[in-house]
Amino acid sequence: MKLNQTESNYSADEADRLAYFQTVFAGFQRAKQNGDLINRFYNIGSYTICLSFAGTGLVSQLTPAFAHLETMPTETPALTVCLWDSASTGIKLPLLVSSLISLVRSRWQEHLDIRGEIKGYNSDRFRTVFQWPATLSVLDLQQNLAIYWVDAAAELPYFERGSPLRTILNWWLENRDRQCVHAGAVGTPTGGVLLAGKGGSGKSTSALACLKSELLYASDDYCLVASDPIPYVYSLYNTAKLKGATDLERFPLLANKFNNLDRLEEEKAMIFLAEHFPEKVVAGFPIKAVLVPRVTGKKDTILQRASAGAALAALAPSTIFQLPSAGKQTFQMLAKLVKAVDCYYLNLGTDIGQIPQIISQLLTQI
Amino acid sequence: MLVSESFIINSPKVVHETIDGEVVIINLEEGTYYSLVKVGADIWNAVERRISFGDLIEEIQMRYSGDKEEIEESVKALIKELQQEELIISNDVSSTQENSFSVEIKTSDNLEKIKFEIPKLEKYTDMQDLLLLDPIHEVEETGWPKAKVEVAE
Repeated sequence: MKLNQTESNYSADEADRLAYFQTVFAGFQRAKQNGDLINRFYNIGSYTICLSFAGTGLVSQLTPAFAHLETMPTETPALTVCLWDSASTGIKLPLLVSSLISLVRSRWQEHLDIRGEIKGYNSDRFRTVFQWPATLSVLDLQQNLAIYWVDAAAELPYFERGSPLRTILNWWLENRDRQCVHAGAVGTPTGGVLLAGKGGSGKSTSALACLKSELLYASDDYCLVASDPIPYVYSLYNTAKLKGATDLERFPLLANKFNNLDRLEEEKAMIFLAEHFPEKVVAGFPIKAVLVPRVTGKKDTILQRASAGAALAALAPSTIFQLPSAGKQTFQMLAKLVKAVDCYYLNLGTDIGQIPQIISQLLTQI
Repeated sequence: MLVSESFIINSPKVVHETIDGEVVIINLEEGTYYSLVKVGADIWNAVERRISFGDLIEEIQMRYSGDKEEIEESVKALIKELQQEELIISNDVSSTQENSFSVEIKTSDNLEKIKFEIPKLEKYTDMQDLLLLDPIHEVEETGWPKAKVEVAE
């Protein structure tokens, strides 16, 4: 059978992408032969996902954020992510990929799209992104197989430890009506609220203020949402982050539990709630409302009706601008979500003890 | 601006959703987002239908009450602003007739006209930082990407 020129070019490009994927995978296999293979299984967005670590370097760095989602091993996970780091395993990227990454590093403006996608290497089937300081993510959607490589596990920035593998998980889950969103989520197993807004809007404060209430924590930063058959939020990370001394003073319950207090000049304070408050972390719940937190400086916290458009504006840009390949499909999914539930501004007062009361009261009314 | 000129949404760089009469628009490459309501939302939805500028003016004048010249100038100003923000681009005239489609506009005979208000494009740049917070975007003079110190909440 003869292919026309366009088909031929497409096939050649896709064949090259497959070769690239296989070459990166060969690197993982070398690392696997060189050390321990550790498989961990997690229920993420109702799918069993296997994180397959070659060597131990990345295990302690990446698994605490998912600890609350750990599940039983299976022979047939829906997605397998193969992970290794060069520093602890002694296995570098294969030469061809290493040369590509060197080129990307030196002339990144030519070779990377706006959110780190390597130009020419992404298609409907294959996705790949290179992000600072030296992490490479590759996914083959046909094989349900992903690879995650970092230069040195010990040098992973705290935000990568706090919300690991976000790009790979979103790529894979977005075709399964699961969308990674930049939002907090608190509620009970029967229903809760999504807290939508950019950094500094009060998502973390609102979510963490609920730790001393009947409400359970699903997220203060990133989570997964589904719109069918009903709006639903899945917890993704149990990571809580606070910024600055004022935040820490507001949460004496947490203050002595942060493990990076000596680095607060450069990092947000971060803890894994499943380690300290496992009973307060929930895997997910139906979304009953979207709340848009706003810091008012007044004492009392009140709810005020918001338009679905306002909720979409709070939820979508901060989600889309941070996720490689996110665009029209993500926007449509989030629009569908905010149309399906009530939306409110959560005008935050300084008495943060009122926050869970207001949310609980709302949940009893809708 | 020619009356026969039409425009198209600058996809895939621009994504948009109309929800309860409000249009939310995102420029994926610039990290900016926008909101249009009322007349502005009607103009955007007309642009989406690829109707000509002349037909657009006619539609708005049929739907809204007000000074016809003011309506025309306001629509023209918004169209220019949308172009300047690279949210819409001029459409090829030859494809306009093939691709455009119109909707039935109810006239004053069967619907009371709404008072015309000058449309305003609300622009938000507060999340451009978020795009910059993506570590790859902070760059040293050497050309090597460098992460900003803080990250999004």
